Amino acid sequence: MNQAAHLTSPSVSLQARHVSKSFTSGQIRSTVLHDITLDIRAGELTLISGPSGCGKSTLLAILSGLQPTDGGQVIALGQDLNLLGPRQIERFRLLHTGFVFQGFNLFPALNALEQVELPLSYLGLAPAEARRRAMASLEEVGLGPRMGLRPSELSGGEKQRVAIARALAKQPDLLFADEPTSALDAANGQIVIDILHRIARTHGTTVLCVSHDPRLVGHADRVLAMEDGRILSDRVPSPTSTPASGIEEPSA
Amino acid sequence: MVALARKTLVYEWRRFLPAILAVGFAGLLQLLQAALVLGIFGSASVYITGSSADLWAGYPGTQSVNLGRSIDSGVEMRLRMDPAVASVEPFHWVDADWRGPSDTGGVSVFVSGINTRPDGMLFAHALSPALRARLNEPDAVVVDRADLDSLGVGIGDSAVINGHRVRVVGVSSGLRALGGVNVVASLATAAELDTDPSNTNRMTYFVAKLRDPAQASEVAARLRGNSAFGSYDVWTAEDFARRSQLYWMFDTGAGAGVLFLAGIVFLVGAVITSQTLVAAVIGSVREYATLNALGVGVGALRKVVMEQAFWVGALGLAGASILGGLALAFARSRSVPVALDPWTALACLSLGMGLAIVSGLAAMRSLRRADPATLLR
Repeated sequence: MNQAAHLTSPSVSLQARHVSKSFTSGQIRSTVLHDITLDIRAGELTLISGPSGCGKSTLLAILSGLQPTDGGQVIALGQDLNLLGPRQIERFRLLHTGFVFQGFNLFPALNALEQVELPLSYLGLAPAEARRRAMASLEEVGLGPRMGLRPSELSGGEKQRVAIARALAKQPDLLFADEPTSALDAANGQIVIDILHRIARTHGTTVLCVSHDPRLVGHADRVLAMEDGRILSDRVPSPTSTPASGIEEPSA
Repeated sequence: MVALARKTLVYEWRRFLPAILAVGFAGLLQLLQAALVLGIFGSASVYITGSSADLWAGYPGTQSVNLGRSIDSGVEMRLRMDPAVASVEPFHWVDADWRGPSDTGGVSVFVSGINTRPDGMLFAHALSPALRARLNEPDAVVVDRADLDSLGVGIGDSAVINGHRVRVVGVSSGLRALGGVNVVASLATAAELDTDPSNTNRMTYFVAKLRDPAQASEVAARLRGNSAFGSYDVWTAEDFARRSQLYWMFDTGAGAGVLFLAGIVFLVGAVITSQTLVAAVIGSVREYATLNALGVGVGALRKVVMEQAFWVGALGLAGASILGGLALAFARSRSVPVALDPWTALACLSLGMGLAIVSGLAAMRSLRRADPATLLR
């Protein structure tokens, strides 16, 4: 891949430049990310895959502004995240980023609609507009008829779809997903990855997904393989290489 | 706006119940303690609060109404000379020893010698005109209904005070004393009972009614500067009553005990409440972290925790108010001296709310664990 081409390409929304990160545990200092440089494009589902401990989650935390780098630069939507203070980073995340985590992290007391509305109210939207957007997002993930239910009344797959709707309703430019399918069975995992893919296509959102789940590879527009804090390969999966075992379930 | 704090409180009420109970019981204890203290020590000033006088003249430096020393009778003239004074009457206090007909031994009594006319100021609120009239009989006394047992008498019985025979002609209510028993008599009877020869031509207090009670402080200040009739001091009824209550509350050590207990109650309540709220925050820490990842600021999350603390306080204190009201009504029905003014009640409830807020601030600190980066592991 030609870096210069990426820099000038209008569709590049997220860039890492010589990013490094290490953690100190007692006497031992371990480097988690070694000089990573990469560009991620809007409108694509980019998958970072690799074994656990390879640094993919740390890379996601740094690219999404949840953690600072030790060295190098992260440029998201043309903003150098290193130059923003903690409050400005929070503001940036509020306006531009959505997150989906492995655990669904839904408030037990709120129904699906309220879960999605909650972050919207902090965006300063009028209550009616927040409700309209929340309902549209839930419809988009196929939960329209179940938006009055609390997490205890939803299945795991449905909970993850509520979490996706919560991230989606903010209409983010960047959507980060960390192991979104690893707590789900094959059918629900399939539904979730399809939804993420569709979001990238229809909303032009930059979707960056981190997973060690090999079933997802065939659904990504681009796969970055990581190991020991380095990116080993960067490829576009061919449709024929899609592993077909047990994931070709009908999507909701 | 989604009411996260309230919905969580309602949905997970079991989690918050210990905090609500802690605030509630702390508030209830403070309320009942304050009511008892005010009730018991309020009886120290029953001579003042049960009377209609606006000013009290007595021995300089008198710390409590029961500690009065005699002043010159000429002070009455001095009070009458002031144009603002409408009327003046004496109050004769005698510390005496009571021997009843039953086997009760000696009882220390406080004899109040008062003007028995229907318009008399002393005990105007505590004795009916009919009862006052009965005191005009020679050697007649009135005692409080609650003291009949300790005096060993009934109505119509005779007893001996300071070696002088008296007869109980009636009973009053609400005249219980601190540290002894109140006996009310006419000024003439009280003079007979006073065995101290130096008290001839002297009187314990003179009380005055003013044409305009609102001017009490100015008139008291004006009357106080004069020493033509020996040393005496003049206080407004309100000041003297407060001074008497504070004397009992603090010079007896009871006030310090009450404050100490209030501190303990506050501390225990705050520990339970803050621990409960901390546990509630920790229980939702991943959800809070997710909101923070989505850009909801730490300040907004703190507000949610503080709102929960506020509702915990409000619910606890609502319960405390209801239970406290029932307890006070029960105490009154059993003649237990309790008194609670709105300001004291408000102070107790504010203390309870302060407890909830302090606990909320403590719980807010555990929001530091809501770091979204920890969700990526």
